[in-house]
Amino acid sequence: MAEPIYTVASDSETTGEEKTTSTFPEIAVGIDIGTSQCSIAVWNGSQVELLKNTRNQKIMRSYVTFKDETPSGGVSNELSHEYDMLSGAAIFNMKRLIGRVDTDPVVRASKSLPFLVQTLDIGVRPFVAALVNNVWRSTTPEEVLAIFIVELKVMAEYQLKRPIRNVVLTIPVSFSRFQLTRVERACAMAGLQVRLMPEPTAVALLYAQQQQQAVHEGMGSGSEKIALIFNMGAGYCDVAVSAVGGGVSQIRALAGSPIGGEDLLQNTMKYLLPNSESIFSHRGIDEIRRMGLLRVVTQDAIHKLSYQSSVQIDVNLGNGSKLRKVLSREEFEMVNSKVFEKCENLIKQCLHDARVGTEDLSDVVVVGGCSYIPKIRNLLMEISKKKALHEGIDPLEAAVSGAALEGAIASGIGDPFGSLDLLSIQVTPLAIGIRADGNSFIPIIPKNTTMPARKELVFTTVQDNQSEALIVVYEGEETRAEENHLLGYFKIIGIPPAPKGIPEITICMDIDSSNMLRVLAWATLPGGQHPATPYMEVKMPTVDDGHGWCAEALHGKYGATMELVTLRKKG
Amino acid sequence: MKLRSSLFAVLRSNSALSSATNFPNVPNSALSTQISSNSQLPSTAECSRPWRSTACEFLDNLRFPSRVFCSRSAEASDLKPGCWNCGAVAPTSVVFLVCDSCRSIQPVDQSVDYFQIFGLEKEYEIGDVNLESKYKDWQKKLHPDLVHSKSDKEREYAAEQSARVIDAYRTLSKPLSRAIYILKLEGVDVDEEDTISEPELLNEIMEIREAVEEASGSQELNQIQSQMQEKLIHWSNTFAKALRNRNFNDAVLSVQRMTYYERVKEEITKKL
Ligand SMILES: [Zn+2]
Repeated sequence: MAEPIYTVASDSETTGEEKTTSTFPEIAVGIDIGTSQCSIAVWNGSQVELLKNTRNQKIMRSYVTFKDETPSGGVSNELSHEYDMLSGAAIFNMKRLIGRVDTDPVVRASKSLPFLVQTLDIGVRPFVAALVNNVWRSTTPEEVLAIFIVELKVMAEYQLKRPIRNVVLTIPVSFSRFQLTRVERACAMAGLQVRLMPEPTAVALLYAQQQQQAVHEGMGSGSEKIALIFNMGAGYCDVAVSAVGGGVSQIRALAGSPIGGEDLLQNTMKYLLPNSESIFSHRGIDEIRRMGLLRVVTQDAIHKLSYQSSVQIDVNLGNGSKLRKVLSREEFEMVNSKVFEKCENLIKQCLHDARVGTEDLSDVVVVGGCSYIPKIRNLLMEISKKKALHEGIDPLEAAVSGAALEGAIASGIGDPFGSLDLLSIQVTPLAIGIRADGNSFIPIIPKNTTMPARKELVFTTVQDNQSEALIVVYEGEETRAEENHLLGYFKIIGIPPAPKGIPEITICMDIDSSNMLRVLAWATLPGGQHPATPYMEVKMPTVDDGHGWCAEALHGKYGATMELVTLRKKG
Repeated sequence: MKLRSSLFAVLRSNSALSSATNFPNVPNSALSTQISSNSQLPSTAECSRPWRSTACEFLDNLRFPSRVFCSRSAEASDLKPGCWNCGAVAPTSVVFLVCDSCRSIQPVDQSVDYFQIFGLEKEYEIGDVNLESKYKDWQKKLHPDLVHSKSDKEREYAAEQSARVIDAYRTLSKPLSRAIYILKLEGVDVDEEDTISEPELLNEIMEIREAVEEASGSQELNQIQSQMQEKLIHWSNTFAKALRNRNFNDAVLSVQRMTYYERVKEEITKKL
């Protein structure tokens, strides 16, 4: 791998270790790296300001080109033509691939991107490569992310005339803790200490600030408001319900899924050119270019359909194949009905989990690149039984602005006008638990638990004289253990001989104020004054890439010999 | 465990039920998991002893050096009256979680109960007091994200106090958890795993289960739901009365019934 011109610290596994504190000695900047666009913002002393690049853009494209072996990203680089992005040399959509293995449907769906995404379907990370002078140059989502971050950092340092060491980075709700470690690693490669914030919670914080400001200006009542936040970009759809009052955003519930504008785009491409997969199956330069052409044309059509009811498509894909068609908004909505259905389910689930009825909702805030799509807006108004959506929050700047606010709050600077008299109280976006009772996922810290949090649950053995227990930690919402994200595993050894069901194995999970997860486990015998085994305390996640293999191997090798069943929750 | 086993004895005799609630025929221990992990009861679902739970006590007893799990509890020297940082005298009128003079967060004092944190009398019926805004006021003073001091000690106090306020808020905001908590303060531990001995209740359980089972649509389920809500209000009033008369036996029975009706409500919500 060629050395990039900028400094990226070594890609070592130890980077997460020194994340000792979440307080910042200086004002942290907010960064939003979306699947297709990225931006950076900072508290300038009186308000949040988005920084612009040399081309006067606040919202920049999230891509990296590898034209002469040396990568350069969309922050500093200017494409001579849109189609340059589709020559095979540009890598994008990496936010969708980070921390995912090649059995993940999201990875498989990325194979139609105009660069190389190869999968072996065995649970390892996919092979991603850019075409540079007819040679495939491999890269990783972490590297691409680090390149964006470095470019944004350099840009901010130049403009703010100070070094940037701390950043608040927004992330999708559905990211597992394993994916978070990959993002943290990318930040460490860029030499930054990071605090991660789910996107809709950043939007909720911005909303909280606006409400607070209205109170200060004598416009608002200052009473508690429940807001539904919906954020859908190119790669992810996230929903949050927040109870906002007194400048505090208490998240009540989160829901998220890796669906987004990219799915709308791919479904529409398939609809326009049904045999596109066979046409583009060999990845020659020509195929990549044609695939790229179709992509640009379709994207443009979707944009237009937000403002007009139909659009004329007319493109020469080369090789004698032409595409001429009128695409109507109805067709677009029909082709993507599954995606919209999924959005609807996420919203309903989030309201349900928050125990909030539509009559309790004060405002519905819709942000992200997909927030312009009429179908999405109608969906939200229908579900929330509202005639209008909340206005006054820029859909493309909301998340990064919220992140910049969080960065300012965390730095502890005061504001004479009380504009930073804010707090965002977070909840766990996914449940965390272990595998027990056969192949079930038993949550120990449930989803939507306010953080910091600590919970424990007692398990017991399934075999007589079982001396060891395998603790396999998962994160997710599925009932079957292996359908969740594997975070790590360890053994408790030396359980004293006893009939099955007698030893009490306590698993305690703790998420501290810097979002660090620790798992503590020990065994006792009834009536025993002391634990019968040494305490095991393990920081999670412990797994590395290739964790898809790992879970299967563990199950195959150990079967039921080290299993556990639940005994009870501890009072 | 006894309550669950006995409940299950009732439930398992109803084969339609076990299939509908997705409890396969697995060993008893696995069955009890299902019930307990579905239960939303704060007393079982959460560590009601905040932060310093058995793990820490164990560790303390053994003098086991666990930095992470036990550092949050106060050092003995910090439990002197007055602010650990500036020495200011603790006020007598309000709870002393944070120092008014230097804004330092104080170590957790377990003798302060949840009602005191919210400035309430130790009474079951709390009226329409705004717990949420008081909760947020505390979080703005105590949340670890807002502690900008460099002292690890104070950050730990913040995490501990903040978590305790979260628990207090959650416990007090729901009638059932509030009832269980107030009994606990009275020294009465409600064992939710206690056997239900009232034949009357057992019969009722059977009937409700069947009704939920046979409900043909959301309308009927909603109807059962509102019946459960009525029963909850009734038994909540019964509990309040029993508590006023210090009739703890009746109070516990009321709690058991409320527990049961809450579970049915949860189950219906899942089906709706
Ligand atoms: Zn003081």
